[in-house]
Amino acid sequence: MKKLYNFLRSMRFGIILLVIIAALSAAGSVIQQGQSAAYYATTYGKAHGVILMLGLNNIYRSWYFVLLLALLCLNLVLCSILRIKNVVKSAKNAAETASRVPDTVKLTPEGVKTLREHLKKKHCSEETVGDAIIYSRRNIGRYGTFITHVAILLTVVFGALALYLPRTADKTCFPGEYITAFDGSRIYVDSFRIEDDTGSLDFTSSIQITSPSGKLSDLTEISVNHPFSFGSLKVYQQTYGTAGSVTVRDPETGDEDVFVMNEVSFLSIDSVNGLWYEAVYPGYIKDENGEVTLITSSSGSYPDPIYKVQLASDGVYTPVLAFPGDVLRVGGLEFEFNRPVEYPGLRIKYTPTAVNALLCAAFLLMTLGLYITFFMPPVLVRTDDKGYAVCGPKGESMRLELKLLLQEFEEE
Amino acid sequence: MDILFFSVLVLYLVAVVLQFIGAIFKKEKLLKAAWLVFLAGFIGNSAYMVVRGIAAHRLPLSNQFEFATAFAWGIALLLIFLKMKKSSDWLATIAMPAAFLVLSYAALQPKEITELMPALRSAWFGLHIGSAVFSYSAFVLAGCTGLRRILTARRNEEKGELKIQQMDFLSYRLVGFGFLLLTVVILSGAIWAEQAWSAFWTWDPKEVWALITWIIYAVYLHLRLRGKRDGNFLAWFVVLAVPVVLFTFAGVNTLMSGLHSYG
Repeated sequence: MKKLYNFLRSMRFGIILLVIIAALSAAGSVIQQGQSAAYYATTYGKAHGVILMLGLNNIYRSWYFVLLLALLCLNLVLCSILRIKNVVKSAKNAAETASRVPDTVKLTPEGVKTLREHLKKKHCSEETVGDAIIYSRRNIGRYGTFITHVAILLTVVFGALALYLPRTADKTCFPGEYITAFDGSRIYVDSFRIEDDTGSLDFTSSIQITSPSGKLSDLTEISVNHPFSFGSLKVYQQTYGTAGSVTVRDPETGDEDVFVMNEVSFLSIDSVNGLWYEAVYPGYIKDENGEVTLITSSSGSYPDPIYKVQLASDGVYTPVLAFPGDVLRVGGLEFEFNRPVEYPGLRIKYTPTAVNALLCAAFLLMTLGLYITFFMPPVLVRTDDKGYAVCGPKGESMRLELKLLLQEFEEE
Repeated sequence: MDILFFSVLVLYLVAVVLQFIGAIFKKEKLLKAAWLVFLAGFIGNSAYMVVRGIAAHRLPLSNQFEFATAFAWGIALLLIFLKMKKSSDWLATIAMPAAFLVLSYAALQPKEITELMPALRSAWFGLHIGSAVFSYSAFVLAGCTGLRRILTARRNEEKGELKIQQMDFLSYRLVGFGFLLLTVVILSGAIWAEQAWSAFWTWDPKEVWALITWIIYAVYLHLRLRGKRDGNFLAWFVVLAVPVVLFTFAGVNTLMSGLHSYG
């Protein structure tokens, strides 16, 4: 049992886990994740059975990957956190322990003098224990790796929560309409634009959220990189679309209505005669013979929109291309084509805000821990009249520095 | 602007050639000349980035060309810093070609200035990509140091032991610096991803390979801490880790599609 415990807390086990996690992650980046079984059969042939059997099609959510992360957490707890007592103890007794360390380098009295002056210049504090003088500095450096490991542990835990806890939904909404979120909040989309005043792409929605309790947010603009948080709800500017807009008028009654459509629709009074709306395109190219080729994609607003429709009259369907401002008459109705309407695709995420805050705190802690580890190594040097010894953890920097110093001194 | 870019490339190449000849024939004057030419190349590299930044109205770090140009600049800057610290005269012969090769890769990429796509217009842009530039540069220089250490150990030079220790330690310091910055890259990227794509982590190929690179250097740091591997093994380790860094930088964008496919 003790053997198993020692293995679980060992650095060797930690390294093995990291290597396996790296190897599986690499496999996950090569094999497309989350595709259908048919995709793997087509792409990998006979090997697809192995891929599906081993769960390589969904590695990052597979039981063994989660198990590896759990074992890494266990290793971090056992190797770092449970050792903090020893770290604190050795930091407290550092001078006392160092005083008992024998000299590793013998020096002449001049050499010792040079060494002590150098350590004083380095702002080391001086403490006399018995016949030894102990120089120390940056005791906090002893805690660097501990802080880093705790932060990694917190990052894995809160990262997993941030990955699996949130509920997200992607929804589109025309300006002037509402979306209802899972918690009952209502999101009103006031307006949406694809380009800014200079014509640069800038997907911006103006939204307002009403919480289930009736609390109303301000009218707020959201864009890519600038989501809006309201309680535990966060709304992102995710995608966009362009829909056709047609004003339908009844000349007899004078009634009219505006229809905004992003799929094939039939506009009619009697369900027989009317207008089949097919699609709106960003633009077109007309060749010398008058043949029109429709442009199917555009990164921004539609520069020269064109509608593709069919007029249905007594069972006869006539394909027609129409431009904004055109008016077509069929089935006793007038159809006036407007400029297309741009609408946003919003991602609505419901997540406990504390998880995000704690994860960001873990990030900061990790950066701090690594900074302390690499840039604030502790200094602990024991000197007496005959020589010196560099003690404590991470003494390599000081050992090398003193070697170079004394080499220069000898050369002088 | 292209003339300035290719001038920098030529200056780096001349510096590499002079450095090699100087190092082989032990001609101090040639080595000094190589260094001066390299410094001129670095100034040109800096000027090119400033000019491009002004022309683009943003930090010139948005695509493979701009990143590679900054990457070469980062290697040169760190090399100059180390040379000023007088701890690494021996590094120039291996590190100068690294800066030249990275800039050569940039020369092969499309150079047009394009508008920054909305997803990249963020306060995190500079920190995330700037940290990556210095992180990768530090890893490449650590690899160069490792290579120099292997060659020095083979030659069994007089007073070699202390020099080798210095090389070992410099390699470790560079990995430490790069590792800290790679951590900043990953963490700032995660916060940015949460703002842009709604999730801290999406297992996008670039994220995955940044994590793999991070793990590789974490393993190096732990192996070094254990002290059970000799310096030669660790030197080979940092040398062989460089292709992984380069794959994370260029290979992922070239061979894999994902959210980081910006060009």
